[in-house]
Amino acid sequence: MTTLRAQSGAAAVRTLIVVALVALLGLIVYLARAVSGGPMDFAERGTAPAAGYSGADPTGVPAELAGASLTARGEYLTRAADCEACHTSNGGQRFAGGRAFVLPIGTLFSPNITPDADTGIGSWSDADFLRAVHRGIARDGTRLYPAFPYASYTYLSDNDVAAIKAYLFSLPPVRAVAPANTLAFPFNQRWLMALWSSMFNPDRRFSANAAMSPQWNRGAYVAEALEHCGECHTPRNLLQALNHRKKYAGGTIDGWHAYNITGDKESGVGAWSDSELAQYLSAGHASGHGTAAGPMAEAVDVSLHYLTQADIDALAAYVRSVPAIASSDVPARLAGPAPASHSQGVTAGIDPRGKEIFEGACVGCHGWTGVSPLTPYATLIGARAVNDPSAMNVVQVLLDGERRGNDPADPFMPSFQGAYSDTEIAAVANYVVARFGSQPSKVTPEQVAARRQQARSSGT
Amino acid sequence: MITLRINGENRTVDAAADVPLLWALRDLLGLTGTKFGCGIAQCGACTVHLDGKAVRSCMLPISSIGDRAITTIEGVGKTPIGASVQKAWLDLEVVQCGYCQSGQIMSAAALLAVTPNPDDADIDAAMSGNICRCGTYVRIRAAIKLAAKATSG
Repeated sequence: MTTLRAQSGAAAVRTLIVVALVALLGLIVYLARAVSGGPMDFAERGTAPAAGYSGADPTGVPAELAGASLTARGEYLTRAADCEACHTSNGGQRFAGGRAFVLPIGTLFSPNITPDADTGIGSWSDADFLRAVHRGIARDGTRLYPAFPYASYTYLSDNDVAAIKAYLFSLPPVRAVAPANTLAFPFNQRWLMALWSSMFNPDRRFSANAAMSPQWNRGAYVAEALEHCGECHTPRNLLQALNHRKKYAGGTIDGWHAYNITGDKESGVGAWSDSELAQYLSAGHASGHGTAAGPMAEAVDVSLHYLTQADIDALAAYVRSVPAIASSDVPARLAGPAPASHSQGVTAGIDPRGKEIFEGACVGCHGWTGVSPLTPYATLIGARAVNDPSAMNVVQVLLDGERRGNDPADPFMPSFQGAYSDTEIAAVANYVVARFGSQPSKVTPEQVAARRQQARSSGT
Repeated sequence: MITLRINGENRTVDAAADVPLLWALRDLLGLTGTKFGCGIAQCGACTVHLDGKAVRSCMLPISSIGDRAITTIEGVGKTPIGASVQKAWLDLEVVQCGYCQSGQIMSAAALLAVTPNPDDADIDAAMSGNICRCGTYVRIRAAIKLAAKATSG
């Protein structure tokens, strides 16, 4: 009797512990969701139900393509969702994967999404593809890492995901196996992503906000479901999920700063005109605001550049509606033009090699004032990169070079990776920020070496 | 068709908007005194003046020039400063192989127009982007100072 009672008592305790653990887990999931919020929570829905929305359907393709074939619609949507940037390695075939994402916890490689049956997704059904894009679960049931932005793609409509798949399946299959990921324990435990998804993937399709205009709704769909702007521009929490309470206040990606794009007049884009914002989005450059480089340049070239004007305008209108948040990554006041003379405007305490390199290699295009004598694309004044006291993006551009557009005649900057040592790159970056920014930077040769190492590992 | 004001004359070229000025000068207008070196604004061989300021013509799209006055090595001798720079170059026998010297002279003349008596730092700031693989830098520096003395009196 005693033993039995003790046994049933122990079972009850065990049950209690399990219930408590499940409840605790549920509470954590609930809190994590509540704390990070949703990407469109900032826009009040008012009392109007989603069904009350009477504008044009915000999902799908723009009016110009309404009568186009499924693959043509899929091509537009694939571009707008910027699948190519991550699923193509440097110099590799489009969508064949293998691009490295070097993270502090190891390296991830994007998979092949061409229709090759063995190495790509050729054997995937529509339902398989839909589940992967909306929920981050591969055909074989393994969980995908959120480097694949399914917490954003989950807002895509079923029809749009089907069109994207139809387009990908219209392309030639490429036989290519991506290298194996090198994530350390416990990050190599894919099942943990099920927990992550339960906390941070809303697993919900886009629904129109009847309190907002049709243009805003289209912009929201383009920004959240397709272009997934927040994946770079929204800061992340400790669990690497987007913190939507600081939506668009700036983040880091691949060693680049993705600057604040909230409506804040000083640290965000609040002072930009509508046309400047639209021009920057579609061309990667707007007069007085610098030129996109790195991951943003890539997003423009393979994705944003292909959006219709109406979609660009909708995207800009949506970005404009995001509440202003002041961030401290860039000083509130961007510096104006530097003096025309080399002997003025240089702050003390800068390594003299910085100026020696600048006057030999940089001044021809950028000028002593920072206003380019050649092309507005090379004007540094107004660019946030040269006002950023971390000088992160300046170092990256010096190492990588920069090219706008795909035409050989388009303006570009050569890479100085092989020309200068870490010390020299650090010196010229600090000189550029001191001369053209509003706060000096303190880049060290060690930081430059780390950037080079990261670039080598990711094969860019 | 784009009209350019070169060495005081209007010249019309039939070329795409993004063609660099250097290509128009050499290939379409026959003004071959300006040289092609690197094509990425890193060597200075293609230097010309836009409204008197030194610019690298290899990276300058012709559509962005507008009505600004272009001066090339063929026309710079007509200005007093350009003439004195060329004379100093001859007096001191600056040139060795000569390939970079059009650009050197254009950069030197632009420097003297703004800074009539340049010190070594001014010369470094204006001339470092003009590379000379024969290593005539010492003679270039001396010739700039000689021309400065001649023009400022």
